[in-house]
Amino acid sequence: MRLRPFTLTALFLIFALPFILSAQTVDELIQKNIEATGGYEKWKSLKTMKITGTIQMQGMEMPFVRYSKRPNKLRIEATMQGQTIVQAYDGQTAWWIFPFMGSTEPQKMPKEQAEDIIEQAEFDGPLIDYKKKGHKVELVGKEDVEGTDAYKLKITLKSGQVIYTYLDSEYFLEIKQTAKRSRQGNELEVFSIYGDYKEVDGLLLPHSIIIQAGPQTTNLVIEKVEFNIDLDDDFFIMPASEGK
Amino acid sequence: MRKQVFFPVFMALFGFGAALAGSADDQPKITSATFGAIQARHIGPAITGGRIMDIEAVARSPRIIWVATASGGVWKSTNGGVTFKPVFDKHTQSIGALAIDQQHPDTVWVGTGEGCVRNSVSVGDGIYKTTDGGDTWTHLGLENTERISDILIHPENSNIVYVAALGHLWDANEERGVFKTTDGGKTWEKILYVDENTGCADLAMDPQEPNILYAALWEFRRWPYFFKSGGPGSGLYKSTDGGKTWKKLTNGLPKGDLGRIAIAVAPSRPNRVYAVVEAEKTALYRSDDLGESWQKVNSSFNVIARPFYFGHLFVDPEDYNRVYKPGLSLGISSDGGQSFTSPFSGGFGGGVHSDHHAMWINPGNPFHLLLGTDGGVYESLDRGNTWRFLRNLPVSQFYHVSYDMADPYHVYGGLQDNGSWMGPSRSPNGIENRDWQNIGGGDGFYVFADPADPNVIYAEAQGGNLYRFDRRTGERKEIKPMPGEGEPEYRFNWDTPIALSPNRPEVLYTGSQFLFRSRDQGESWEKISPDLTTNDPQKQRQKTSGGLTPDNTTAENHCTIVTIAESPLDSNVIWVGTDDGNLQLTRNGGRTWSNVVKHVPGLPPHTWVSSVEPGHHQPGTAYVTFDGHRTGDMKTYVYKTTDFGQTWQSLATEAIQGYAHVIREDMENENLLFLGTEFGLYVSLDGGRQWARFTGNVPPVSVRDLAIHPREADVILATHGRGILIIDDITPLRHLTADILTADAALLPSRPTIRRTPVAFQNFPGDAEFVGRNPSDVASITYYMKKRHLFGDLRIEVYDPQGRLLKKIPGTKRRGLNRVQWNMRLKPPRVPPAPTLAFRAMFGPMVPEGRYTIKLIKGKKTYASYVDVLPDPNSPHSAEDRKRQQETVMTLYRMQEDLAYIAEAITDLRKQAESRAAKLKSRDRLAHELRRFAERLTNLHQILVSDARSIFAGDPKLREKVVDLYGAVSSYGGRPSESQLKRMRFLQSEIHKAESRFKTLVDKRLPALNKKLRKKKLPELRLMSRESFEQNQGGMGQ
Repeated sequence: MRLRPFTLTALFLIFALPFILSAQTVDELIQKNIEATGGYEKWKSLKTMKITGTIQMQGMEMPFVRYSKRPNKLRIEATMQGQTIVQAYDGQTAWWIFPFMGSTEPQKMPKEQAEDIIEQAEFDGPLIDYKKKGHKVELVGKEDVEGTDAYKLKITLKSGQVIYTYLDSEYFLEIKQTAKRSRQGNELEVFSIYGDYKEVDGLLLPHSIIIQAGPQTTNLVIEKVEFNIDLDDDFFIMPASEGK
Repeated sequence: MRKQVFFPVFMALFGFGAALAGSADDQPKITSATFGAIQARHIGPAITGGRIMDIEAVARSPRIIWVATASGGVWKSTNGGVTFKPVFDKHTQSIGALAIDQQHPDTVWVGTGEGCVRNSVSVGDGIYKTTDGGDTWTHLGLENTERISDILIHPENSNIVYVAALGHLWDANEERGVFKTTDGGKTWEKILYVDENTGCADLAMDPQEPNILYAALWEFRRWPYFFKSGGPGSGLYKSTDGGKTWKKLTNGLPKGDLGRIAIAVAPSRPNRVYAVVEAEKTALYRSDDLGESWQKVNSSFNVIARPFYFGHLFVDPEDYNRVYKPGLSLGISSDGGQSFTSPFSGGFGGGVHSDHHAMWINPGNPFHLLLGTDGGVYESLDRGNTWRFLRNLPVSQFYHVSYDMADPYHVYGGLQDNGSWMGPSRSPNGIENRDWQNIGGGDGFYVFADPADPNVIYAEAQGGNLYRFDRRTGERKEIKPMPGEGEPEYRFNWDTPIALSPNRPEVLYTGSQFLFRSRDQGESWEKISPDLTTNDPQKQRQKTSGGLTPDNTTAENHCTIVTIAESPLDSNVIWVGTDDGNLQLTRNGGRTWSNVVKHVPGLPPHTWVSSVEPGHHQPGTAYVTFDGHRTGDMKTYVYKTTDFGQTWQSLATEAIQGYAHVIREDMENENLLFLGTEFGLYVSLDGGRQWARFTGNVPPVSVRDLAIHPREADVILATHGRGILIIDDITPLRHLTADILTADAALLPSRPTIRRTPVAFQNFPGDAEFVGRNPSDVASITYYMKKRHLFGDLRIEVYDPQGRLLKKIPGTKRRGLNRVQWNMRLKPPRVPPAPTLAFRAMFGPMVPEGRYTIKLIKGKKTYASYVDVLPDPNSPHSAEDRKRQQETVMTLYRMQEDLAYIAEAITDLRKQAESRAAKLKSRDRLAHELRRFAERLTNLHQILVSDARSIFAGDPKLREKVVDLYGAVSSYGGRPSESQLKRMRFLQSEIHKAESRFKTLVDKRLPALNKKLRKKKLPELRLMSRESFEQNQGGMGQ
């Protein structure tokens, strides 16, 4: 006797639906997201970006500045008790200065942290020109994000790292991202909530990012965004040690 | 004329329609999202566990362990059991079996509905599969099997899976027997089936010939008052063709009706098969010819005890003569079942909980065992001689919960087979296992602290065995009411109710078929009712309950009182519910009673009354839940009366799932109701017209009891499978009116925040223990948004009583309720930069008591409310001492900022001098002077700040000394010591000294240097002003 209960058929349909959708709309969704945030041409007109804001964490507030330059250069500076922590990637080498670890000398980042910053260094983010960059994007389906209907996209980066991003179904803006980060061989799931979208020179950008990693919540408040300021390539390169 | 007639009719129709629409629609629709960010916190305990149904590990990497629990979901460890996390929280929490696909270890099958069919079991809804290690699950049918007791995956073909489906416990159904899929669960074929009363209890597969299968079919049934194991449907079956055909094995097995059979094939020699067969004379049987013939080998107590409850058998992977029989104790045989010994004497020795169900033997190291019991998971590394308890699975199965009025308050409750406990709602390092105190053993149910004497606790063991526990001595006085001359035997339920009077602290109730009242802590009892049950003799057969194996543990006691509640508005009004469906009311303190269940519409007769909640606002109001699941009726029954039970209105809606256990009405807002069912917690904001499941960290677990703490406004959940959950501060829910729900956004009131000095105790427990979360010790700010916030600003601003902006907090964006924390502190002080972090300066001073204005900025709109910060009522410090402490902290705060300014100004001036010098020739006289000036500044800086690169270098300077004193004074809520105040004055004078040295140096040298610089056309040296220091956040930018 073969059982084919109705619910199984229904289940099959529900599972089949995303695949049908995906063939039609994964690129459309990305297109809509790009349109909603300013359009492809606008994004491509940017050469550099400087974001100024505050990190709130465990009752502390640390000012930060994030500099980025096409195609994949990044430098983030955050200040704590007057000392500046630097994390940067010049397209080749990921490095940092961590004064409270006993050294103000620049050092190469450990592999796991390096992977994270290399991923973030991609100037436009992973969705724009994802095929050209070697990433894969699938539409997983619709999911409820804190009571809001959203499209769940699975992004498999060229590196193999998987990120899930959620676009709200009304404006197609990114409202959430999740990723599993590797720490000492263990997985740490990181959730980011994006909001407070504001227009800056024709681009719609989130001005609030809430990051949840394990029990720890970090708030990023973005106060100012500037485009196409002059940033020398050297600025992203690891300086020679002071002692040499 | 006609128009004139029609028009009013039309208007009337229209008006009527609008009225109808109004009654249905003016209440905005609520969903789980409405409650948004309001989350329960889990406080455990994990010091004692809950019933475990299955344990499996990945053969190639046994650090990956999966545990299936009877009613607390599925837990996964990736570190050999040091920590576990729940991975099945969106689905039913009752699990019967799980199986890991050892070829693809991220693929795991979970069969829901436990198979140890005791009186308190839950129900499942079919089979699930994950292919990503538990992140996402797919339901794959068999939803009406109710309980699945085993899953076998073909070792070479992952698409072939066999499922043992027990089927319904309380009624007949056809979706039971053995099911097989050959396409990974897309379709199922029922390959072995006898009748609608018989299911499959156990399955075994020949590891070398996977087409050889053994299946134990079992006929069984439970009634509210009786259990029967065994019947003509039971039997042991074998297939040699992957389940296409089966034959019944009888050669050497007992004749007559059989009961539950546990079966196991020896992995190292598969022609050896073992089976414990329940029969008139239950015994362990052994076959050495692939089940074709059997011989009886053992019938010792532990092997044959309670077959319905202990249904599994395990054989060592290497030694085919070594057999493990989990039971009341763990029986171990090393001679092929001829004889058994136990590492635990009588089942209670060795500190291992009795009642063993699940076991895993490491196939790569048979000395390594995991054992699942009624009290959690144990691990042995010496083949069962010694055991370690895993103190990290908070899956305790509560029946009831209560609280006291201590601060922090304690919660009290009784557990299935794990005694009675009390634990704190808050503890310095989080709520740890060691914070829980045991009150008594056995099965625990109701536990109450005496409202007048917190050293006295009332608790019980199954069957009405009440006792009074003294916290000072640990003694228990047994206070069960006992019949006197001419009285019938008292019938007490398994879960006998105990109730306190909400009006008179000295009054205590309990019930058998009669209601009893005590006014002397249980020393004596007054019978204040006639038999309130149906007293049906057909339902009083517990002495013969059990079927083939008699099993009279009081679990089938019937025609008993199961719920008692006195009205908080009138001590003469008492409601009593019975397990056989009577709902009795007295309005004169017990002199006369009336059974009002006949007025309840749409309720099948004799449906168990699971709870009564008399209203807190109207004397005639009461809410009642009924539970018919013990007859197979899974519907939700919840009713309300406003006229002392003369008429009833159903409050059940489509939104509620699961049979109902408990309902509570909020004491502040009569429209706010909480309902616990077998599948979670439901909340209504409009008196029961609409319900939505509360999903904030509450899985769809059985919610057996609820209590609302009157002082804290916390809802406390007794879950049967996930311990105690607390929803802190429901004040916002009390104010979630229709007006608020339809507004775009609104700030909601919260309870006042108590200003507490944080404390911690030294403890290095590692990671292997569960720690329950504390409530937030800072202010929670709650706001509602009708829709997710996407565009523009969203933040909370906090202003002090003088109207100064203290803090901006980014808002969370979700639809429904949002909750953000204000840490009630100023920004951390600025300290001079140094190579080491000043840990004690990483927090700002706590704000003083007072009313703080809260603003919600949402785009262009602003909403205002306030937060009250109150002193700790338990603080021994006077208002004056607290003020002195706060002032001292603020002075030290300013000293750090002063120091930071001086240090920064020195550094800045030194850098200016060095850069001017660098522009001159090295032999230039001015360059030399500038360098000397810089050197003097460096020397001065070294008085202020240590340049030690490590905290162990130990060279404290002014910065370190001031920071240290700031930390010391901050960490104590009362008056600073005289020494501290003296030290502060000394450090103040040191700062002034350094400042004046700096000033002297600047006054003396700067004009001359600047004059010379001007001559060289170089920019002058400029002293950084305090203003520009304040503006500069701290040396950012390129």
